[in-house]
Amino acid sequence: MKTLYFSLTLLAAAALTACGKTEAPVAAPAPAATPAAAEPVSQWPELRVAVDATYKPFTYKTESGDLTGFDVDIAKALCDELKSKCVFVEQAWDGMIPGLQAKKYDVIISSMSITEERKQVVDFTGKYYNTPSCVVVKSALNLGAEAANFKDKKMGVLKASTQEKYAMGELKAAGATIVPYDAQDQVYLDINSGRLDGTVADVVEVNGGFLSTPDGKDYACAGGRIPVEFDAKYFGGGAGVALRKDDAALRDALDAAIKTIRDNGKWKELADKHVPGVDIWGS
Amino acid sequence: MTTYFLNILEGLLVTVGVALGALVVSTALGLAGAAAKLSPYKALNWIGDIYSTVIRGVPDLVWLLLLYFGGQILVNDIAEALGYRRGPQINPFIAGVLTIGFVYGAYMTETFRGAIMSVPKGQSEASWAFGMGRFYTFRRVVFPQMVRFALPSFTNNWLVLLKSTALVSVIGLADITNLAKQAGAAARGDIPGAAIIFMAFAGFLYLLISSLSLLLLRQAEKHYSAGVKRGDF
Repeated sequence: MKTLYFSLTLLAAAALTACGKTEAPVAAPAPAATPAAAEPVSQWPELRVAVDATYKPFTYKTESGDLTGFDVDIAKALCDELKSKCVFVEQAWDGMIPGLQAKKYDVIISSMSITEERKQVVDFTGKYYNTPSCVVVKSALNLGAEAANFKDKKMGVLKASTQEKYAMGELKAAGATIVPYDAQDQVYLDINSGRLDGTVADVVEVNGGFLSTPDGKDYACAGGRIPVEFDAKYFGGGAGVALRKDDAALRDALDAAIKTIRDNGKWKELADKHVPGVDIWGS
Repeated sequence: MTTYFLNILEGLLVTVGVALGALVVSTALGLAGAAAKLSPYKALNWIGDIYSTVIRGVPDLVWLLLLYFGGQILVNDIAEALGYRRGPQINPFIAGVLTIGFVYGAYMTETFRGAIMSVPKGQSEASWAFGMGRFYTFRRVVFPQMVRFALPSFTNNWLVLLKSTALVSVIGLADITNLAKQAGAAARGDIPGAAIIFMAFAGFLYLLISSLSLLLLRQAEKHYSAGVKRGDF
């Protein structure tokens, strides 16, 4: 039956190759060969920015499907400073860092906290905002922020987040049960359904997404926020722009751009637009 | 609120596109895999066995991430070694179609292998005796009879494949699931229970596609069962 098998295999191979066509490589001179004598308009004519549009009010989509939020507007402002064209790439949170390493995009501007652990694989600019996190439980319990208060409580957290690190490091040690979720929204759903006693989340995120909604009216941030002394160990120094380690020139340019928009009032304008009434620069 | 629903509806095209693309790939691979497994050559049997064992033993999501991120890093390394600044980008749509097609090809392999074996060997022997070639025998005699045996399991594979396309939201494709998630996140605070409402709508769309395809496949089953009598003993 040689012919039959051969034809079938060939058919399958043809089908695969037909589907496998990708965009042609862009030929470009090898980098670092010679610094161009005449500086072009911008060193980065195009900046591919990764976002995960499920984090209101920082990154989300409007009803008509357009990307918006504080992260998105900051990205646009930074691109303007660099005279680059911002190209947004949507990426689910789980694959954010792998996608950066695979060069699917050049930077992540999606509320990614600067942590020691992440710094081992990617580089960060300085922070462009910093908000505290808090432990949310029923307000009737009247608890303070100390970890020991949450003994025997079942807390939901976002997988791979700084809040998860804190919950695992402090609350679990104090006797709480920690359940990781793929999205913060799922945590809120499970608080409503009674499977969870609370969550550990960013103060701004949990205010907009839960506490201010009818579902969250009986809940509050225990003790206002997680004590400052845990910031360095778990939460790092706020959210920064993540980029690949070999992109030092881009990092420096972005750091300069963040300083510029802080100084010229653009940053404040955007912060007031998306997160009114809260200081999101932090200490 | 209506706009959110319309947005999610747009994901229907992506979901159906990925599912149909993957169906074509998996059917081609399934036929090739069945041919390899039934081949008189030991080496081909071996390849077919490895394919269906390895693929069915590893989760779809792991394959998808391996191909999309791992594959891209490999492509970049090769491109950079050749002096390009950046490798060609693996398109997420194609990555989704190929991965899901590749995975379900392994299940299709077993479907087609079983179906081909259910056609009495005398059928092909008779065709050869009439002087028909191997491919012609397959196309005109074995295939039309095999389809009847393959369809129930093929239908099953298709339904599972359709739903596993939801995995492509992990690599950023705007399919039904991804758009429903985003709508839920965007509308929360404005619409009570937004996340649940939009996910339920997404579920309804999957149900709609699967029900429609079941109708079509039932027609196909009727067509390929022509000449076969249904009855009790």
